[in-house]
Order: sequence, then structure tokens, then C-alpha cells
Amino acid sequence: MSELLIEIKDLECRIDNQKILKGLNLKINKGEVHAIMGPNGSGKSTLSSVLAGNDNYEVTSGSINFLGEEISEMSPEERSWKGMFLAFQYPVEIPGVSNINFLRTALNERNKYYGVDSIPAKDFLKMVAEKSELVGLNNKLKNRSVNEGFSGGEKKRNEIFQMAMLDPKLSILDETDSGLDIDALKIVANGVNKLKSSENATVVITHYQRLLDYIVPDFVHVLHEGKIIKSGDKSLALELEKKGYDWLKTDENI
Amino acid sequence: MIIKDLNHNSLHKENSKFDLEALNLGSFPNRKEERWKYTPLRALKKINFHNQLNFKIEHLSSLGIPKIEGFLIVLENGKFNSLLSNTIDLKGTELSFLNGTNIANNSDEPNHKDYFTNLNFSFLTEKVVLKIKPDVNINQPINFVNIISDDNCISNTQFNIDVFENSKLHIRQYFLGSSNSKNGFINHRNAVSLKSQSSLTIDKFQDLNQNFNFCNEFIDQEQESKFIMNTFSASGVILRNDVFNNVNGKNCHSELNGVFAPIEKQHFDNHTTINHFVADCKSFENYKGVIKESGVGVFNGKVIVHQDAQKIEAFQKNNNILLDDESKIYSKPELEIYADDVRCSHGSTTGRFDEEALFYLRSRGISVKKSLELMTLGFINEVIEKSTDSEYKEFILNKIT
Ligand SMILES: Nc1ncnc2c1ncn2[C@@H]1O[C@H](COP(=O)(O)OP(=O)(O)O)[C@@H](O)[C@H]1O
Ligand SMILES: [Mg+2]
Repeated sequence: MSELLIEIKDLECRIDNQKILKGLNLKINKGEVHAIMGPNGSGKSTLSSVLAGNDNYEVTSGSINFLGEEISEMSPEERSWKGMFLAFQYPVEIPGVSNINFLRTALNERNKYYGVDSIPAKDFLKMVAEKSELVGLNNKLKNRSVNEGFSGGEKKRNEIFQMAMLDPKLSILDETDSGLDIDALKIVANGVNKLKSSENATVVITHYQRLLDYIVPDFVHVLHEGKIIKSGDKSLALELEKKGYDWLKTDENI
Repeated sequence: MIIKDLNHNSLHKENSKFDLEALNLGSFPNRKEERWKYTPLRALKKINFHNQLNFKIEHLSSLGIPKIEGFLIVLENGKFNSLLSNTIDLKGTELSFLNGTNIANNSDEPNHKDYFTNLNFSFLTEKVVLKIKPDVNINQPINFVNIISDDNCISNTQFNIDVFENSKLHIRQYFLGSSNSKNGFINHRNAVSLKSQSSLTIDKFQDLNQNFNFCNEFIDQEQESKFIMNTFSASGVILRNDVFNNVNGKNCHSELNGVFAPIEKQHFDNHTTINHFVADCKSFENYKGVIKESGVGVFNGKVIVHQDAQKIEAFQKNNNILLDDESKIYSKPELEIYADDVRCSHGSTTGRFDEEALFYLRSRGISVKKSLELMTLGFINEVIEKSTDSEYKEFILNKIT
């Protein structure tokens, strides 16, 4: 029944001649939530960047099939138009560009790609009001420069706000929970859950099982040294919380 | 308002041919001079100029500027074009022209004996004098459009602006080259006198296409006056602005801002000198360069705080973005301080757009071209924002990004 959204096969990539992903396999169907956990430096953010199309990373072998299309060579903007979204671990500040102008441009660029008219100002503002409420984004932040002077938590909410505005097919949330207190975490998780549908999928990258109480995963994967070394259901996250990662680092896995 | 049309249809000082180097006006500037070190004038030197004063433009709209409502003075190829102008009656103002043989009655003296000032005075064909009487607040901007529309035409023009005590004025200047003309040259002089407690804002826009524009600007400020000049340089073969702002009275505010965006071998040069002669004044400078496709930018800003000018606050900055390896900027902020109790700072930065920011925008579905546009806008926003009129702001952004 379930429909394939993305399939990553034997993915290897490098930066500055340093191999980071070393044969990664992952398959995600529409309607699923996947969690990726793993120690610092294991390659979680690298995987997100490669999926979003950051060409600082060179894909040296393997394939990424997204909605039936090989996307390894596709530009980041085209991936976005097709429904890829990355909530950055470290959202970038863009001085002088207002959040709202940024988002209007993003939506209009996508409309242009699909040959659709620009979104009327009124509809756009209505959408902004709706979606910012979903993640409890402070009204004032909408007119400020993108992420400039935002607190850690505000930046993370702003990422999910953008996700809500763009309504992607695949959302990758890279440590969205870090920098959020428990109340903010609940609000953001609630927002993410509301955006879930049978047509899209979510990848949650996190260190802590805490977030997974609120965004409940169908699958949990452990990434270690550029490879997925174990997959399971949500009980795996609880086990990791208790035992750490060391018990997984057996010889055969490394 | 009184319009003194001193003599409009008489002889012009016309020369059929100009060889700039052969004129007896002092030595033609070269790169051995400090002030011309970064701006070679080869392209200008080799043109054979004429100054036959013809009109060619039928509608200002053909020049790509928004429709101008209200008070409008248009000069074309060095001559007042009354058909394109709209010098409606404005209370408290006095407008006069000096041209034809009466140009000999020009009472001004060049206060700088440099080549282009000499050229301007020697071959002046139109001088506009605008006086704002005391205690007058002109709400609508006054527009001054100076056009070159004839190939190889040299236009030497002057605009004097006298704002009397306690009056307020906003001027928009447009220096324009028609898109089908080339090798024309507007050599212009602005002379501004601000009496005590007066205020003047000049928005200056330069869009010369294949033509040249040099502006020498002299601003004299008396006490408690406020002067703001925003210079937006969009196109031209060589654009050169020389601003000399003399602050002669206490508690003045002086502000020079600019955005210059040369592309495709265009060369835009901003020289500024702010002279603080007396105490208790503030000056601000903020110039932004956005340079791409072999464009060249020059910024040389000098703030001089003279001996008795205590408690001066002077801030100057020049930030530049180079969009590729072929583009260049020469930036030289200078402070000369002879007083001891002052707060001054100056700084210059030159960089590239942040790759991470570019990726961030692209990951949201914004193309490279549009992303660079957005970041450019973000970069120059600080200066563009100084303009309160959203339509004008939009227009400038469109022309510059
Ligand atoms: N831009 C980069 N330049 C050099 N090394 C990098 C870069 N990005 C990541 N790495 C290296 O790749 C490895 C994985 O990093 P990362 O993907 O950020 O891990 P994680 O997100 O799991 O903490 C680390 O060893 C890190 O030092
Ligand atoms: Mg990471």
C-alpha cells in the first residue's frame, strides 16, 4: 500500500577529501516518520545537507531517488520545488532581508517554476498569520531580518514556520529540539504533527529521546561513522537513551 | 515665486569641437595625482565633444524614471527644456536661470581650481538658481532632471540651492543618459548654501547608460542646519562624485550616503570631504558598493576635524560586496583630526556574499539569481531605507539590483 518517497542507496560523500558518508541506505515511504540518532560527528548533518543539495559535499557514489527521480545532481532550489525541505541545525542569518519578503520570494519562485500566478498579497498574509500561529512564532519576528538577532529557540521555530509555509513532501528536521525549552518543544512538535499527512514524510534528527515522546517515529535509525548501523522501532530510542551508543559499536558494525 | 528668465534665446557659448586635453584649463588629471589615482580618464579623453544644445527627448517616461508629479526642472544637453519642465508657482521660492550671453554675469567663483571645475565655469551653458526664503517648509520634493541625449555632447551645468533660515527642502536629482546616446558627458556643479536652522535632503540618482557624469558638489552649512545627501549610482561609463561639505556653524548634522553598483567595466568613483571647522557637530557617512562583472568602484572619504572643532562626532563607513573575481574596489577612508576631544570612527570592509546564506536561500526554492538579488537588497537596505517614499525606494532598488 505504502508509496515510496525517497530511496537512498549506498550513498558515499566526501568533503575536502575526507570521506564522511560511507555507504548509507535508507528508504522512506509517504506517511512515515523516521528518527535518525547517533553520536556527534557521525554524519547526520552531512546527510541532511547532501539531501538538500549542498554542493560543498561531493557525492562520490550511490544514488538518491526522490519521487521517482535521481536528484544527486539537482540544484537545491529545484529539490525544494519538488518538495524537499531541511530545517537547519544552525539556521543562517541574512541581514537586511525581511523574513516575510524572503518567504514571499520563495513561494513566488516555486509558483514561477510550476507556471502558476504569484500568490495575492492578501492570501499570503492570511497564510502567514495561520502558519505562524501553528508554531507560536512571535509576530514581530516576521518583519525582522531572517534569523538576525533571533534567540536559538526563535530560529528553530522560524524553521518550522518556513516548513509550514512551503508544505514540503519530505521534511528533515536537523536537531530542531536543541535550543528549545520543554514548552517550546511541545508547541513545535505539535506544529510538526499537524503538518503530517499521508502524502508527506518527516525525518527527525535528534540526540534526545525526549523529542520522540512528542513526535512519535515509526522507525529509528542509528547513524555511526557515516553508515546506518541499526534500525528499529521507537523502543530503540528508549534503549539508546538508557545504554548510550557504545553497545552498538561492535566489530561487525564498524 | 519669481522666475527670472534672464535671456533665453540668445547666443550660446558654442564650440563645434572640444579636445579636453588641448583646452587651456590647467593640466588634465592623470593617475599620478592622488585624487585621480584610481580613476583613469582615457575613455573620456579620446572623445571629440561638441556642445550644440539640442533637444531630443519628447517624454521623460522614455528615460525609465517614474512619473514625476509637482515641481520639475529639466535640463537637456546643457540647456533648460521648458517643455518638459513644470515650474509651478511655489510659495516662498525663487527660481532663476542664467544662460546665453548672460552667463558672463555668473557671480560665483570656482572655489576649487581643479580641471573639471574650470571646465564647468569656462563652458557653462545653464545655471539654475533656487532660493527658499526664510521660514518656508516645502513639503513636496523639488525635482531636477539633467539629461544627456546627444552623442558626444558635453553639458556644463550648475545648480545653486540656497535655503534660508529655518526653511526645509527636499530635492530629487536625476542625472540621466538616454539609452540610445553614447559618449555624452554631463559635467555638473551643485552649490548649496544652508542658513541657520535650515534643512535640505538631496536624493541623487545617476543612470547615464553609455554616457559620463561628473558632479562637483559644494555644501556650506551654517549653525544648526541639517544636510543629507543620498547618492544612488546605477549606470554610466565613468561616474565621479566629488562632495565638499563645509560645516561652518555649531550643532550641524551632515549625512552622506550612497549606493554604487557598477557592472561590465563601468567605473563609479565617490570622493567626499567633510570639513568640521567648528565644535559640536555630527557627521555620518555610509557608502555601499555592489560590484560585479568587471565593474570598478572607488570610495575615498575624508573627514577633517580642524583644531577648534571639539566635541565632534564623525562616523564614516564603506562596505563593499564583490560578486566575482573580475570586479574591483579601491576603498580609502581617511580621518584627519586636529582637535583632541572628538568621537570619530571610520571603517571599510570588502567581501563576498556568504556561501551558507546563499545555500540557505536556495534550499527554500530561491534561484541563484534571485538569491543574489535578495542579498544585495539586504546589503544596501540600510541606505535605501533612508528614503521615506516607498515608490522611490522601489524604483531605486529596481535600478540598482
Ligand atoms: N564543512 C566541513 N568541512 C570539513 N569537515 C566536515 C564538514 N562538515 C562536516 N564535517 C565532518 O564530517 C563529520 C560529520 O559531521 P556532521 O555531519 O556535522 O555530524 P553530526 O551532524 O552527526 O554531528 C565530522 O567529522 C565533521 O568534522
Ligand atoms: Mg549535526
